[in-house]
Amino acid sequence: MNAESLKRKGYYAVLWLTSLLFFAPVAWIVMSSFKTRNDILAVPPKLIFSPTFDNYLDLLDRNTSFVLQFANSVVLSLSAVVIAVVVSFLAAFCFSRFKPKGTNFLMFILLSIRMLPAPAVILPVYLMYANFGWKDSHIALILFYAMFSIPFSVWILKGFLDGVSVRFDETGLVNGGSWLHVIFRVVLPQLKPGLIAAFIFNMIFVWNEFLFNFIVGGVSTQNIPYALAVGTYSDGGLNWTFIATLTTIYIIPPIVFIYLFQKYLLAGMTFGTVRGEV
Amino acid sequence: MADIIIDHVTKRFGTFTAVDDLDIRFSDGDVTCLLGPSGCGKTTLMRMIAGLETPSSGRILFGERDVTQLPPRKRNIGMVFQYPVMYPTLSVAENIAQPLKHDRSLSRGERERRVEEVLDLLDMRKQARAFIDDLDAGSRQKVAVGRSVARQTDIVLFDEPTTNVEVNAKLQLIRTFKAVTQRLKQTIVYVTHDQTEAMTLADRIALMKDGSIVQYDAPRRLYNDPSTEFGGWFLGNPGMNFIAAERRGNQLHATILDSPLDVASDLGGGEIVLGIRPENVLMHSEPGPGSVEGRVTEQTIGIAGRNLARIAVGSAVIKVKADGPAPVAADGTVQLSFPRDRILVFRNGARVTL
Repeated sequence: MNAESLKRKGYYAVLWLTSLLFFAPVAWIVMSSFKTRNDILAVPPKLIFSPTFDNYLDLLDRNTSFVLQFANSVVLSLSAVVIAVVVSFLAAFCFSRFKPKGTNFLMFILLSIRMLPAPAVILPVYLMYANFGWKDSHIALILFYAMFSIPFSVWILKGFLDGVSVRFDETGLVNGGSWLHVIFRVVLPQLKPGLIAAFIFNMIFVWNEFLFNFIVGGVSTQNIPYALAVGTYSDGGLNWTFIATLTTIYIIPPIVFIYLFQKYLLAGMTFGTVRGEV
Repeated sequence: MADIIIDHVTKRFGTFTAVDDLDIRFSDGDVTCLLGPSGCGKTTLMRMIAGLETPSSGRILFGERDVTQLPPRKRNIGMVFQYPVMYPTLSVAENIAQPLKHDRSLSRGERERRVEEVLDLLDMRKQARAFIDDLDAGSRQKVAVGRSVARQTDIVLFDEPTTNVEVNAKLQLIRTFKAVTQRLKQTIVYVTHDQTEAMTLADRIALMKDGSIVQYDAPRRLYNDPSTEFGGWFLGNPGMNFIAAERRGNQLHATILDSPLDVASDLGGGEIVLGIRPENVLMHSEPGPGSVEGRVTEQTIGIAGRNLARIAVGSAVIKVKADGPAPVAADGTVQLSFPRDRILVFRNGARVTL
């Protein structure tokens, strides 16, 4: 065995160790969702156990709002993000192509909104929503999430749009295409990695959102983070089977999403640093 | 079919005037080359014709139609850019057919017929099913040309289409352009800074400098009868020789003249310069009538095996282009004669006829 392959093996060993370290809690939660309450709390922890689906059945049976919460999570995040990405794409197109006066300043403002901590805006937003009678409304919450997702999406998409040469626009225009044709048929297809990156980043944000859902939302808009927070102590103590089961279900959609689109996500994360000219 | 009428058009970018009060008409069915050095405003003029820029003042008309404020797609034009932009996932034929699909007045059969016709014209029938990514830059540019002419618009614009094509493919591409422009009776405007291209393709060349058109003429006329010193210098490889002349009464004296040149008495003042093209200067080993003596300073072989010599005559250096090498080696003495009918006279940069 030569030094090169030894180095390689060491490298993989480190990678595996790091991954194990990071994924141990996730694995514990996923495993716990298939254990009985006693098995979860057993000391020393049981690595070998007979799996049971009782927790999942329980979740559906006893916790009647699970379906509502899951549906809310999906509906809220999907619709908010779709709105955000559509609006952001058009805004970014305008910023990138027509460069209105003060573009740089506006882009800076957009990025600073992203830095604003949520608790800083919760009070005014709550007062506004309460006065408008928008509490516990799906549409109001979707609009809020979209509003919160737009700045970052505009930022990402403008980076991608700047990478698409104006030559495409001009060729399209002079050869008989309208602006709509140029925007949606010529430029949009080249923006797939950017759109997917923006989509996933925002999806994760809304999917994980608890604070606004808890305060601005209500009974009919409750989502999974809300359910987790509320249900944790429902059993007169930490309800581990509930937490483990719901968490496992909760992490599946993002993982599936990211797995499907991982090659685009990588492009999205490196935007601005690696940009090819045509 | 349409003339292109540029009616006192000016375009400013901030304080920079790219196109300065142009007023010209490009005739229907003509191939007009806009020729000039970088930054002379030729591309800006073309972009205004295409509708990608709006003039600061003035009007642009296609025939009777004022298009100054119309967006590009309503102008019924086709354009080929410096960089060909294609749908990489579509084949050659599909790329050519793409813009036709948006024209609802065309039947399916008519669309196919036009694509076939263009493929024949470009001699690309074999590559019809090839994908754009598999083609070299020259062939891609041919596809871009095909796409622009297939729509059979009144006007087709070419913006330095051969700049990014390597030399061999470039010649082939120019041949294709020539074939295409001769077959189609569309009004064509072709921007280039390459005089060979302009000479080969154009019916008329508009020579531009600093945002103005210096001269608008047929290629041969532009070459033989430049209206300005700039035209003489810019066209030709190498450009025209310019020799300072001195005026005494009705006669011009210069180092290249063995006897003075008669001029009209109303010539006026200013700097007088004589111009003659390098290929019109004759070089001999023995003195002849009207010849002057010069010393060979440098000899090179130029394009097409033509020999290029630099010869010092007094304080002036004359470039001479001849079929054979100079009869003597460097630093030797030769006799030059300058046919009187080939000598052009310029006063303050502008041509004067004798």
